[in-house]
Amino acid sequence: MLAALGQWLNDKISALLYASGYLLKVLIATVTFPRRRQVGNRVLVLQILFTGVEAMGIITLIALAIGAVIIIQGVSLLPQFGQGQLIYTILIAVIVRELGPILTAFIVTARSGTAIATELGGMVVTHQIEAYVSVGINPISYLAVPRFLGVTLSMMVLTVYFIVVGLFGAFFLTQLIKPIPLSEYFGNLFSALRFVDILSSLVKSFVFGVLISLVSTYQGFNVRQASTEVPQRVIKAVGQGVVLCIVANAIVSLIYYI
Amino acid sequence: MKELIRLKNVTVQSEDYEILRDISLSFAQSRSTVILGPAGCGKSTLLKVAAGIIMPDRGSVFIDGENLLTMPERDLKAFRRRNGFAFQDAALWANQSLYENLFIPLRFHNPRLKKSEIHDRVMQSLESTGMDSQAHLRPAQISSGEQKIVSFCRALILEPEVLYMDEPTLSIDARVLGIIYDLIRRYKQKGCTLLVVTHDQDLTSWLADDLIVLKAGEVVEMGPFDEVKNSENQEVQSILSSVLSRAASYDTDILGLLAKEQMQD
Repeated sequence: MLAALGQWLNDKISALLYASGYLLKVLIATVTFPRRRQVGNRVLVLQILFTGVEAMGIITLIALAIGAVIIIQGVSLLPQFGQGQLIYTILIAVIVRELGPILTAFIVTARSGTAIATELGGMVVTHQIEAYVSVGINPISYLAVPRFLGVTLSMMVLTVYFIVVGLFGAFFLTQLIKPIPLSEYFGNLFSALRFVDILSSLVKSFVFGVLISLVSTYQGFNVRQASTEVPQRVIKAVGQGVVLCIVANAIVSLIYYI
Repeated sequence: MKELIRLKNVTVQSEDYEILRDISLSFAQSRSTVILGPAGCGKSTLLKVAAGIIMPDRGSVFIDGENLLTMPERDLKAFRRRNGFAFQDAALWANQSLYENLFIPLRFHNPRLKKSEIHDRVMQSLESTGMDSQAHLRPAQISSGEQKIVSFCRALILEPEVLYMDEPTLSIDARVLGIIYDLIRRYKQKGCTLLVVTHDQDLTSWLADDLIVLKAGEVVEMGPFDEVKNSENQEVQSILSSVLSRAASYDTDILGLLAKEQMQD
């Protein structure tokens, strides 16, 4: 039993060191990416298109719904306690600081994280990665870095988009329940909004983008021999991505309140 | 003969067993070497180690005397530029068109070349093999034989000095076989270094200058083609007869006869 425990610990440490080495390689390749006249620019553009632009529809829907739910609950409950003005603080705390980044991260994980892990895993199994190596193209520079940059950038833009649509969605719902002028709504909202709220949101979205892209590409590249491993790695990518984003969210929120 | 590639005490480990075990050999420049052996003996792995695609778990690979594992990135890129690798299963990039499969490596190694020049070279390569009308298609939209042709085109697009071929004539029809034979013959006549894994007795007989016989991850015999073919080692004869099965049914030297016929063509 002791031997099994030792082996388990050894395997976990090896995996952690391997992942750390991969992270370092990606970061180094990212720094050198702009000065390389690579064909990776096209991959970056396509990744931004898929992760960012094509996700806007679903982000719009979810952001509008979240904004609507918060405003309905807030407008009906808060006046009972004489705290109607708190709705703006709650909108900022919930949409800008918390749900905006984390829900966007979940959507990006579900769409892009799975797609990236699946695509790269399939490429490993069919020797396409070896083909890149054979012609001298570094798979990390050409395949991982554009996805890393594309997902991170798209996460940040999508988070801002989520927040804007969520807050606008909340405004449109208030017109049905308790109409207020646009200027009054946004005036109260901006007076409740602070710079650190925006900063917190951007930091979270950046960190989530980094985590999702690193985990997805890492799991994709780690497919070994059989195509049956691909869905297993995809599930790992999603699971690890979600857990890491939730943990990172808690850490950043904690720092925000310190 | 100048030594181009040297493997020294190379071992490649799988999770359960050693795919290649303490292999030391060399490949000479401008020679054509055929690697033979039963299925699963490590032939493809040996080829990929020699091409620098797979790094050994133990041992070293030397290219022109320089250790591949410690080679600076610039030298490594130059080494890759001199190579062409045709994979057993083509390994074309599935999310790119046939045109892009050739465009990408050419563009990568020639960033200053005009796009129109790259376009011309790509189309010329596809036209020479009759694949130009399908340049816009994805690999999944063409047959496996045609994928093999395009894989060869990609391997040759940089006009390599060293060509690695893993089972180039496996599972293809006579038309595709003729195209691939022409391509290989052309590069042999140019004096390129050719490393081939194959079970094709016709190809072996007219192509091989040197022969390497592998079994269970170890080199059983290696040397000039005639010497290995006529080896008194029973194990070598057994492997050759089982791998090159048609040869076993003749009393006369079938490989020698086939070699003479090809040279006369």
